[in-house]
Amino acid sequence: MLDKEFYVLAFDSTHYAINTEKKLKEHLKIETIPTPREISTSCGLSIKFGVELLDKVMELVKEDLNNMKLYRIVREGIKKNVYPMSI
Amino acid sequence: MNQEIDARGLQCPKPVIETKKILDKLQDGSIVTIVDNEVAMKNVSKLAQSMAYDVDVKQIESDYHINIYKGSMEPMVNMSKNTNGETVILIGDETLGQGAEELGKILMKGYIYTITEYDPYPKSILFINSGVKLTIEGSEVIDYLRGLEKEGVEILSCGTCLDYYKIKDKLAVGGVTNMYTIVDTLHSAKNKVTL
Repeated sequence: MLDKEFYVLAFDSTHYAINTEKKLKEHLKIETIPTPREISTSCGLSIKFGVELLDKVMELVKEDLNNMKLYRIVREGIKKNVYPMSI
Repeated sequence: MNQEIDARGLQCPKPVIETKKILDKLQDGSIVTIVDNEVAMKNVSKLAQSMAYDVDVKQIESDYHINIYKGSMEPMVNMSKNTNGETVILIGDETLGQGAEELGKILMKGYIYTITEYDPYPKSILFINSGVKLTIEGSEVIDYLRGLEKEGVEILSCGTCLDYYKIKDKLAVGGVTNMYTIVDTLHSAKNKVTL
């Protein structure tokens, strides 16, 4: 039941996270999740989405890139490898 | 010696209570409990299995005849279905914590998502009061709960509560339960988490 590879957008503020979720949910299947422990960030909410949605998501959030960070997550067993992506 | 319990027309959880009374005293032989609805049939079957009895159900017209007998079954605690953790979670609200409802919903969603990532999985998750809104069609956590159920986590929603909110026909994951099973599940659990 656990996705092997996915992206998360981590936010500086809960309100940004909530607003972005609302915006993305209208168009795409995304999930709001607690920010994975492997990522240190000031706000505990992230948006998780499948690798195939990257371009669509980034197109929709391109106005607000200053408020978020993008990470690619790859699971190996119970370990999560986190790769920061430049946006 | 075979005993028969006619529990037709009895309100839940009566059929379960009556069956348990007899099973607690049963030395040998088998019993048959007759009920007139599927929820009672499932609950009585589940009770019998949890007490390590074998169960056969025959549908005769609109009634269910539940034949309960001592087979070669090991108690359920040894069954693979219960290789999960020893924790039982009671969720009594569709939101988590006190405060803004929007935030409460997000926190509850986050909590249930995190359970899917946390090892070991809980043994059971019980939903009561507005918590049952999390187990119906359209709930944002339905996929997580279905995934947990596939992994052997028992997901149970309170029937009285589904009924009260008029969403009984919308249940989308797990089974319907009653206070008798809820108390039994909670009180026999090694660890309890109440939200």
